[in-house]
Amino acid sequence: MIIAYMNDIVKRYGSFRALDHVNLEVEKGEILGLLGPNGAGKTTLIHALAGLIKVDSGDISLFGKKLNDHIMEIKQQIGLVTQDITIFDDLTARENLEFFGGIYGLRGAELKQRVDETLAFVRLTDRAKNLPAKFSGGMKRRLNIACALVHRPKLLIMDEPTVGIDLQSRNYILESVRELQKQGTTILYTTHYMEEVQSLASKIVIMDQGHVIAKGTLEELVENIQHEEKIHLEVIDEPTSETLEELRSLNGVKQVIHNKKKIQIISSGGAENVDNVLAVVKKAGGVRSVTAEKPTLEDVFLTLTGKTLRDGEEE
Amino acid sequence: MTIFLFTIRRCFRNIMNIILLCVLPFIVILMPNEEWTLLPLGFQLYGVVLFFAAARITSIIMEDRTKGVLMRIGVAPVTHLQYLWQNLLAYSLILIVQIVVVIAGGILYGHDLINPFLLLVVYVLFALTAIGFSLAWFSLFRHKETAFVVLMSSIMLMTMAGGMIWSVELMPELLQRLAMLFPTYWLAESLIIVATQADPTELAVPFVVLLLFTAAFLVIGSKRRLS
Ligand SMILES: Nc1ncnc2c1ncn2[C@@H]1O[C@H](COP(=O)(O)OP(=O)(O)O)[C@@H](O)[C@H]1O
Ligand SMILES: [Mg+2]
Repeated sequence: MIIAYMNDIVKRYGSFRALDHVNLEVEKGEILGLLGPNGAGKTTLIHALAGLIKVDSGDISLFGKKLNDHIMEIKQQIGLVTQDITIFDDLTARENLEFFGGIYGLRGAELKQRVDETLAFVRLTDRAKNLPAKFSGGMKRRLNIACALVHRPKLLIMDEPTVGIDLQSRNYILESVRELQKQGTTILYTTHYMEEVQSLASKIVIMDQGHVIAKGTLEELVENIQHEEKIHLEVIDEPTSETLEELRSLNGVKQVIHNKKKIQIISSGGAENVDNVLAVVKKAGGVRSVTAEKPTLEDVFLTLTGKTLRDGEEE
Repeated sequence: MTIFLFTIRRCFRNIMNIILLCVLPFIVILMPNEEWTLLPLGFQLYGVVLFFAAARITSIIMEDRTKGVLMRIGVAPVTHLQYLWQNLLAYSLILIVQIVVVIAGGILYGHDLINPFLLLVVYVLFALTAIGFSLAWFSLFRHKETAFVVLMSSIMLMTMAGGMIWSVELMPELLQRLAMLFPTYWLAESLIIVATQADPTELAVPFVVLLLFTAAFLVIGSKRRLS
């Protein structure tokens, strides 16, 4: 079931098109990874989806209803984790959550319970009474996420939630996202880190310069690009010329390079040659180690745009 | 009413605000009776305190805007109008309570406030104008610090030019006319009318002008939303 749907969206700033005929579908229960370099239009897309900005043309529906006609009802079921940390510095962690729970209509015992649960979920229970000024970057990020979770949104939109934090906090956040999905939340996860998308997302949308340039599962995306498969082998006995010849004759193999007991086999994309290669070298005395280099999302992006994801990143 | 309740809390979350809201009123009450002022000195100058306090607490809206929290509130099922009026209501309520305390305190202390009820109405109207003015002011700026420094100086200027410290009659003709553009002038006018026990209907003009100022400021101030 599709719970969020954007059709042919155009958003202009002056003559500049931040979103240029964008289509997007989010399926119930999935983690959709929205990947793109800085300035691709991810935040703009998310803000349009959350009803924060008006688009110039195109349709947006959520939960089967048109955004413009049912905006309040739809907003009630969305949570947005903002790219910048947007929490109240003059309210404690608990008060921040009480505020955001309150504006979503939670009251009394229910509010208290939801606040307690959410604090525990982001592991800030001990710090509930502190002002965020005393928090580390990771703790602020966690509080920033928590503020979008108190009201238990059906659709959680996360805009680069791991920017600028330590590894431990980052892993913790990624783990929490998986946990939320298990609990039934649908997640639209935006990032310019491809590793995050690769490890989290069940479906991936790649954006660049206001366009959606590819979408699909990781496997689909990778299959679609012509890329070489590389297999590195270390064998027990140095290969004979017959063995090398046999490897060369395998379907899709382009090149076989060997140096003593190390062999590198390059085949064309999608050849899936690991099994065949292993069969050949096993006959010829056995394998000490094998690694297959799979193309990554980075390669997909590079192939599609001719530039790397990290281009223009200020790190 | 979540926004309203939390705004009230946030108004008391820094030292400067606590001084302006809770300490200065007592200084106003305790200031001596001077021969040369119509009202006790503290009450003559109380408008300045109100203006500064209004500016401080209204800056919460600007802080929300510049920090992006306002955008986040916009994601929730709350309209910008709800956010705005709940904030303004909180500010107004805080200042009205302060005014009541100041007037009641003044009476208890033994000051002759001539017509305490009318005085209360004058201060309340001026406080609303000051809130509106601050809202409009902050909507024009991007950086809170700049907005604040310039506002503080402007308040001092308006206080002096508006005739709150000395009588406008001591100023050149042209400045006297210009002074009418400042809400402080109309506050000073109202205070004179109350203090001299003139016909209360004379308050109509300054009251209407203050209300018009407030309305105009609110319109300007509520235009700016996110960014
Ligand atoms: N309010 C705005 N006015 C003008 N240009 C904007 C505005 N918001 C975003 N943009 C431009 O739109 C493009 C996409 O921005 P954004 O959606 O923030 O990208 P991302 O989140 O992928 O980094 C950028 O080139 C940015 O400069
Ligand atoms: Mg962004």
